[in-house]
Amino acid sequence: MEKMKLKMLYTDLKQDIDIIEKELEEALNSSSHLIYEASLHLLQAGGKRIRPVFVLISAKFGNYDIDRVKNIAVPLELIHSASLVHDDVIDNSDMRRGQHTVKAQWNNRVAMHTGDYIFARALEYVTKIENKKVHQILAHTMVEIVNGEVIQIEDKFRLHQNLKDYFRRIKRKTALLIESSCELGAIVADCDPKVVKNLKRYGYYVGMSYQIIDDILDFTSTDKELGKPAGSDLLQGNITLPILLLKDHQEIQQFIERASNGTVTEQERLEMLQIVRNSDAIKKSMQISNQYLVKALKEVEALPNNPMKKKLRDVALFIGKRKF
Amino acid sequence: MDATYIKKKIEQFKTTINNQLHHSTLLKYIDDPILNDEQLFYLLLPLFNGEQWDEDLNISAVTVAMVHASLNEHEKIDEYHATSKEQQLTVLSGDYYSGRYYQALANTGNVLLIREMSKGIATRCEQQIKVYEKNKLTIQDWFDYIVSIETELINKFYSIYEFDKYYTIMTNGLVLQRLQRELLNYQNGQTSTFIKMIQSCLDSSDSFDKVIGQKVNKLKDQTNEFLQTSTLNDELKLYIKNQLALVQK
Repeated sequence: MEKMKLKMLYTDLKQDIDIIEKELEEALNSSSHLIYEASLHLLQAGGKRIRPVFVLISAKFGNYDIDRVKNIAVPLELIHSASLVHDDVIDNSDMRRGQHTVKAQWNNRVAMHTGDYIFARALEYVTKIENKKVHQILAHTMVEIVNGEVIQIEDKFRLHQNLKDYFRRIKRKTALLIESSCELGAIVADCDPKVVKNLKRYGYYVGMSYQIIDDILDFTSTDKELGKPAGSDLLQGNITLPILLLKDHQEIQQFIERASNGTVTEQERLEMLQIVRNSDAIKKSMQISNQYLVKALKEVEALPNNPMKKKLRDVALFIGKRKF
Repeated sequence: MDATYIKKKIEQFKTTINNQLHHSTLLKYIDDPILNDEQLFYLLLPLFNGEQWDEDLNISAVTVAMVHASLNEHEKIDEYHATSKEQQLTVLSGDYYSGRYYQALANTGNVLLIREMSKGIATRCEQQIKVYEKNKLTIQDWFDYIVSIETELINKFYSIYEFDKYYTIMTNGLVLQRLQRELLNYQNGQTSTFIKMIQSCLDSSDSFDKVIGQKVNKLKDQTNEFLQTSTLNDELKLYIKNQLALVQK
């Protein structure tokens, strides 16, 4: 239902999104039946494709040509997919979007080869673009995403971290790739440098809000909506914003202690969810997310007149209210 | 140029690669990147043989080694148990090295090498995943697998810089050394994915050491023949013969 609503926001881009969808499948075409099956496994599980959408919308502020724009939209989605395949190995996750992960369906090594394969296909695809700057931005983004994940592992179960640590982490984990989607979409469409900057900053703010909402939903959604048990982030030791806002809560501290020893029962998980849901941490987290959205909307205001401005606003507002 | 010079040059090259891949947090938990001396030697073979070798070419060669290091990290991931912090960071180190190779080539604007490396990585992954496919493969398929794993990326590098004349000696050399290692492991009672895969293809009248031994001898003969007619300089020929234990004693 929620995904339907998101799709309705960009019905006028549907034709081009369908092109991207087709290209994504073609990019993963392989002589190996297994690698093709494993690569498509996640892709067909139905992601929201928000990164390609941001590329397309941003490119509409310049000389839009889907044949050029797809050269960045497709690799960005592939890079995102590849990182998810490897993340599932790191997190030992069996389920994603309600489906078995590649590592669960096959094994860790198949997941590693599949992730590497998708990364390779992404980079091969992006070489259709000769612009050095595009490659530098994308490479920097890839390195920083990994740095974010390294920090995330370092920070696992560490309650003594501050909001700055959290924001730095989610910037690398999520915001950077959305920021790059907007920036690169604008660059390949030869947008004015000022427009590129506004779109880049818009992507950053929206990306920060997107991850905060994601972290909230991990506590407020049902297992069915998430396609995995609610509270999984905390069970894996990821200290997200709602938990940081509750870090003085004794029962939460005890829960984290037990989670780090791997001794949490199902009953304790449900109790922890109740504590978080009944606290004001969710409301405060929403407020922080909204602050980022306000900044994103300011960047939209600074953009030149274009029908896509409304779309950027709508997408930002949707992200602020999304329930999946 | 003698063996000492070659080894010193390879060590210098390794230092450059390690500097490029340095990551203080990763190094707290995992070892230095795995760099195979034999592959590095063949990567630098055109340089050792006096080919023109500028800074761009050197950066390109470094990035090929970085890709090898990335894929080598991911080879260390356990099929079913990767939950330790060390394994988690090993996944990320491979991804980090991969990002760093792309960054190095992006900074020099070498889009062609990015493309060819990407194709090479994809081909290697397709080969590596064969281990998990249900298709029945032949011994020749598994030899092709070894050729791809050992040579695919260096081959792409040679191809771009028109070093194709080194392809045969590089392939023979790397495959021969790999098979010799596998044979030694087998004789010492150890096992590997390759040993298991070859064993799964054998007739009851064959054995792993017999089949691999024959292949090793054939490759040695071919390499000897190649070196007799090759235009490689004599010191390099001697170095390669020593490395492959082809010198008549």
